[in-house]
Amino acid sequence: MCDHTKNIYKPQLATIEAMIDETPDVRTLRLVFQDEAVRESFSFRAGQFAEYSAFGAGESTFCIASSPTRKGYIECCFRATGRVTEALRRLEVGETIGVRGPYGNSFPIESFFGKNLVFVAGGIALPPLRTVIWNCLDWRDKFGDITIVYGARTEADLVYKHELKEWQERGDVRLVKTVDPGGNSPGWDGKVGFVPTILEEAAPAAENTIGLVCGPPIMIKFTLPVLEKLGFKDDSIYTTLENRMKCGLGKCGRCNVGNVYVCKDGPVFTAAQVKGMPQEF
Amino acid sequence: MQQNHTQLADDSYFAAVTNAIRTETTKLLSEGTVAAVIGYQAGTRAGTVIPTIITDAAKAGDLVFSPGCVNNLALYLTKAKKEVRPAGKVAIIAKGCDMRALAGLLGESQLKREELHIIGVACVGVKGAGAGSGEALTTGTIARKCRECTVRAPEGADVVVGAVPPLPEFSPVEAEELARLEAMTPAERWAFWKGHFSRCIRCMACRQVCPFCYCEQCLCDRNRPQALETTPRPAGNMAWHIVRAMHLAGRCAGCTECERACPMDIPLNLLNRKMARELKTLYDFEAGLVPVEKGPLTEYREEDDQSFIK
Amino acid sequence: MTKTITEQKLRSLMDLLLKEGRRVVAPRQAGSIVLYEPIDSGEQLVLGIMPRRSAKETFFPLCETILTYGKDGNGVMVSDVDAGAFPETILVGAPPCDAAAPAVLDAVFSWDYNDEFFLERRKKTIIIGLACTAADDACFCTAVGLSPRDDKGSDLFLTPVAGGGYLCDAVTKKGKVFLDTYASFLAGGEAKPLPSAEPAATPLDLAGIKDWLESNFESPLWQEFADRCAGCGACAFLCPVCHCFDIVDEGTETKGARRKSWDACGFGKFTNHASGHNPRDIQNKRYRNRIMHKFKYYQDKFGQTLCTGCGRCVRSCPVGIDIRAVLEEIQAKP
Repeated sequence: MCDHTKNIYKPQLATIEAMIDETPDVRTLRLVFQDEAVRESFSFRAGQFAEYSAFGAGESTFCIASSPTRKGYIECCFRATGRVTEALRRLEVGETIGVRGPYGNSFPIESFFGKNLVFVAGGIALPPLRTVIWNCLDWRDKFGDITIVYGARTEADLVYKHELKEWQERGDVRLVKTVDPGGNSPGWDGKVGFVPTILEEAAPAAENTIGLVCGPPIMIKFTLPVLEKLGFKDDSIYTTLENRMKCGLGKCGRCNVGNVYVCKDGPVFTAAQVKGMPQEF
Repeated sequence: MQQNHTQLADDSYFAAVTNAIRTETTKLLSEGTVAAVIGYQAGTRAGTVIPTIITDAAKAGDLVFSPGCVNNLALYLTKAKKEVRPAGKVAIIAKGCDMRALAGLLGESQLKREELHIIGVACVGVKGAGAGSGEALTTGTIARKCRECTVRAPEGADVVVGAVPPLPEFSPVEAEELARLEAMTPAERWAFWKGHFSRCIRCMACRQVCPFCYCEQCLCDRNRPQALETTPRPAGNMAWHIVRAMHLAGRCAGCTECERACPMDIPLNLLNRKMARELKTLYDFEAGLVPVEKGPLTEYREEDDQSFIK
Repeated sequence: MTKTITEQKLRSLMDLLLKEGRRVVAPRQAGSIVLYEPIDSGEQLVLGIMPRRSAKETFFPLCETILTYGKDGNGVMVSDVDAGAFPETILVGAPPCDAAAPAVLDAVFSWDYNDEFFLERRKKTIIIGLACTAADDACFCTAVGLSPRDDKGSDLFLTPVAGGGYLCDAVTKKGKVFLDTYASFLAGGEAKPLPSAEPAATPLDLAGIKDWLESNFESPLWQEFADRCAGCGACAFLCPVCHCFDIVDEGTETKGARRKSWDACGFGKFTNHASGHNPRDIQNKRYRNRIMHKFKYYQDKFGQTLCTGCGRCVRSCPVGIDIRAVLEEIQAKP
């Protein structure tokens, strides 16, 4: 037996228990750790991420998209755009992937108790908020009003369609879903318009409310001024940053935005923090 | 050691070239003939230079020409440096060897001749690896490529500055090195390159300084599918250097920048010269003499040698 | 009491260490250059020449396997690398700029998560530093707070003396134990140290430079400094403290290894997202990150400067970029 510390780069093995094709190129994997002790002990907070490996192709970084309140499995959601994500996509139910994590900080959900929540998400960026949404829905009585504004380019690009339906049907959530102009098909029962515009229209009250925003940079750029107009303060708006990562451990030198390491100091930041950072993300 | 070596050109040669470059630069920039001049300015260490892009005639005095002017500035005209290349017509200081790269880039439609103003330097030679930054240009410190230079008086420039003083006969170090390589058996050659490439650390200096490595997506950065391993291990190193040599065959104009930039002293240009020799033998082709649209490896001719097909 | 060791005894000591099964890493001739490599005999030790690459690879190799994997009908098996099996190592002949570097890197490799590959090698290595009696025009250790006789980071420190041989000082407890163990190779007595080689460098105002960096993320100077940068990794790879790395799988889907290998923030693809978006999309942004990381971010995070003034980046830059000139220009700014 050697006395050295453990290999921080070694992933845990997990079995793909189920998969859902959210869109033609976005897939959700439900993963169950193979080691029973890990299955029992693995815990994380909403907002944290992990490194997922397809052996032979490498590792890729995504948030843990399931809620920490749902035990026994984790979920990730990714678009096949690179070597690793394409390899992950080739895996079948029952096959093995590697998972390292959880890494990074998280949403301070306990500090949101007693407040209203407004979630604003675009496209493939719903997963990092979906973990928070379910976490909060599972603790529904801790929060005031919950509003979700979610949009994508087209109907087909909306992820978690079955869950959108569930949220829509619940009486305790206000879901405002939208697609970009031209992205709707006949029978679309949501809004048509860009997320910032629809958010402005929906006009959730800012008082005693936390805003949580995730989306492509362009969406964030136009959403923050809307929230500001609605009366949200920068320190009550949360978002996540994504930069290319390799180690996830604050060592490999890739993901920094100025002196902030997204993998360790993030990925969750307030709008006030983001505004203080150099433009390097 | 040094006492056996004679100085190759006195300071007046370099002063004259420097002055001519400055005069030409002042004229070009103040008359608006070009938007910028790519040249050399003095580096921080004695005798060293750094590449520079000058857009203001008042800065013409910063330009120098010295035995430290080793860089092939053609690099700054390529797609790889598109972020720094000024728009419009650009002047460039080019030694004869650098001009061969320009000819190649013109042939590959990477440059337009009418957007270039070439200030050719009639060149005595530059210093080679191992020469101290403060040392003079002598028969001992001159770069190996310069010993066998056939393009001291550059042809095809818009203006040529300097006049090469009489030079002694140089023993051909590079030709001897190539002869030694060719005298090896295939097994010996394999061992020779294996040894050298095992030292490669994949810093990519060879690629980054090469005027012909302007691919926006280099094969070694591709990973779907991955063409070669990216880690500095023997198999990937060997693959990388073979791929590079093949990709440069018939294109490399022999500026030796890859070899000069290599921090591990791998004789990369020997490989390029070997490839050039093969092309000369097989296709009677020499890269970079005049701009040609298609090199021998991108063109098929009935009479091409096919003996390699077995 | 001061101890001395003759050059011959030093080489014999290395022979003994090798015989005892230790790995001895030292400057050694490798083709036309000198590199830190494991030696097979004390004779191979090259003293007083700065190796082309730094000594960081003794702890942080160019490329190392961090796990192997295999896949069969029963699933995937991942095998760990036994860092406990790393050999006891003596790193000998490192100039102060190389000897000081590993301790600087301890901070990042033990920041919350312990990188056992680095730290285990650190634990198992004794560093025998060597004072410099020669400096060239790229050396600048004195500009960043070191000196040619600084024993920072060394466990034992050798100082060349007039007439040959070395003064041998224990710097750490580990060094003292080593010295006691091999006392028979040493002699007592007085010896006159050779003058150390002072680089022609004036101390940089590192705090002032950091202040400027703090408020000049956007500055036209970055373009001026780095437009010429060719975007290679020579500076980073030769640097004793640059530590960026990549993690890649090599092999097939059924069998292979995951490896950690040197990477450089100057490479164009370093921060490229899968989407094609690149936060550091042009070279001067990448060069800015290099300077920021060394003289601001590492200070912010760990209170240390990520530079030991070895000058390798100055010597190796194919386009002549001199980090000292960059820093001096920054220093001269209000």
